[in-house]
Amino acid sequence: MNTRQVGIAGMGVISPLGHSAEALFDGCLRNQSAVHPFEINLSGLDPATVPVASCDFDDKAIKTPSKITPDRGTAMALAAAKQAFQNSSLDMDQLDPDRTGLFWGSGMSGAHSFETICRQIYNDHQRLRPTSVLTTMPNAAVAEIALALKVKGHALAYACACASSAVAIGEAMRAIQGGWLDVAIVGGHESMLMPGILSSWQAMRVLAPLSHDLTQAHQVCRPFAEDRHGFAMGEGAGALVLESVEHAQKRAHDHSLYMTGYATNCDSQHITHPDPAGQVKAMKNALKNAQLNAKDIAYVNAHGTGTQSGDAAEAASLAEVFGPYGVPVSATKAVHGHLIGAGGVVELIIALKALQTQQLPATAHVQAVDRNFQIDLIRGSARSLQQGRHVMSNSFAFGGTNAVLIASLA
Amino acid sequence: MTPAPVFETIADLLIKKFEVAPEQVKEDALLEDLGMDSLGLMEFVFALEDAFNLRIPEDKLDPTQSGISLQQLSSIVQEALPKNPT
Repeated sequence: MNTRQVGIAGMGVISPLGHSAEALFDGCLRNQSAVHPFEINLSGLDPATVPVASCDFDDKAIKTPSKITPDRGTAMALAAAKQAFQNSSLDMDQLDPDRTGLFWGSGMSGAHSFETICRQIYNDHQRLRPTSVLTTMPNAAVAEIALALKVKGHALAYACACASSAVAIGEAMRAIQGGWLDVAIVGGHESMLMPGILSSWQAMRVLAPLSHDLTQAHQVCRPFAEDRHGFAMGEGAGALVLESVEHAQKRAHDHSLYMTGYATNCDSQHITHPDPAGQVKAMKNALKNAQLNAKDIAYVNAHGTGTQSGDAAEAASLAEVFGPYGVPVSATKAVHGHLIGAGGVVELIIALKALQTQQLPATAHVQAVDRNFQIDLIRGSARSLQQGRHVMSNSFAFGGTNAVLIASLA
Repeated sequence: MTPAPVFETIADLLIKKFEVAPEQVKEDALLEDLGMDSLGLMEFVFALEDAFNLRIPEDKLDPTQSGISLQQLSSIVQEALPKNPT
């Protein structure tokens, strides 16, 4: 076994399509869209209805180790991380806490609580909770997970918009490969389905506008389609437990899935418009890191937000790295929404389940692919994976951060 | 003697929200003996005020001072509650 590889010991998911990796993947395979309308009625703003994909998740039922009532996103993070650990065969009491790490990403961690606090101050003229700072600080979820899972090694929060959790996973790989850690809990969360924050996103014109016929809202996000016009904001959390090959060997355990490649860089061109040159470099560097060629990749879960410029840049990048129509691609944001900081980990988990089950989910709701794109977009229904052991997941963020992950079957 | 509903509401809050073991929740138990740190006590006083829809002045109950019993706490809440018209 190549010691550069890092084993995947467990997965956890809280998503709009369900609260397990299996439920998430099953929803993707069935093109079961969780997108629905969300009405915004705020004083001083025009009423609006925007598309969102929310989780059927009772954050009030989540007990934190700090006993603080958590932000909704932190509650999701804690649930996903604990689920991933419980699904692993690791025993917390057998781990060295100093060699156990936590790498966690979120784009706007604490956003849910932050909007609530703003309302309490400026609208309701209420007092603030003594834990207001502790629920909105960017490492709130890291703090709760570290307490719950007895992590005493690295405990780091990453904030690079839509690439946050992908970067967290990649940096954890490097810490394990570098010999600093045996085990790392990795992932990310996002929860900002609040009217003020959604209005801010709508003001940027990236949320897909809904037609008057709200019964069609579920298919409003159409990545790479001729008629694409934006995304639906999602919420949720995803987690993996990573383990060094050496540590797994000591407990006589073989993993079936491995993280094998990672690269990150920054376009440094524009705060929102992606640059294909940066994306191409990131994909090529991830392949180099995995010691693979482009033809070795059997499937790419694209960043694929459904915006005009984002999809155009990624389609050009994919065609350059893999050649025209060179690799099967799908963009599952069409059904689970854009989970921003949690998008990287949730979409990687979909790619991992594709490897496990040999089924590649389709990109839902796409009637016609943009005629300028030379990509093999899986449409209609899921496709069988005929051969191949390696998958790629792309995350390309506002701010220019690109992160590419490659995972492989044993 | 503290009226039962006040103590029962406090007990309910401690057990259900702050996960204090029911056998610890006695009238003579001190707040500091219930396993809550200073932050937990601040959250508890906040939750207590919400439960009774009142504000307890800090000179009556400083959340960083935990050496009072649940019976004393019940009396402070009882005093702060609006009096029923007679």
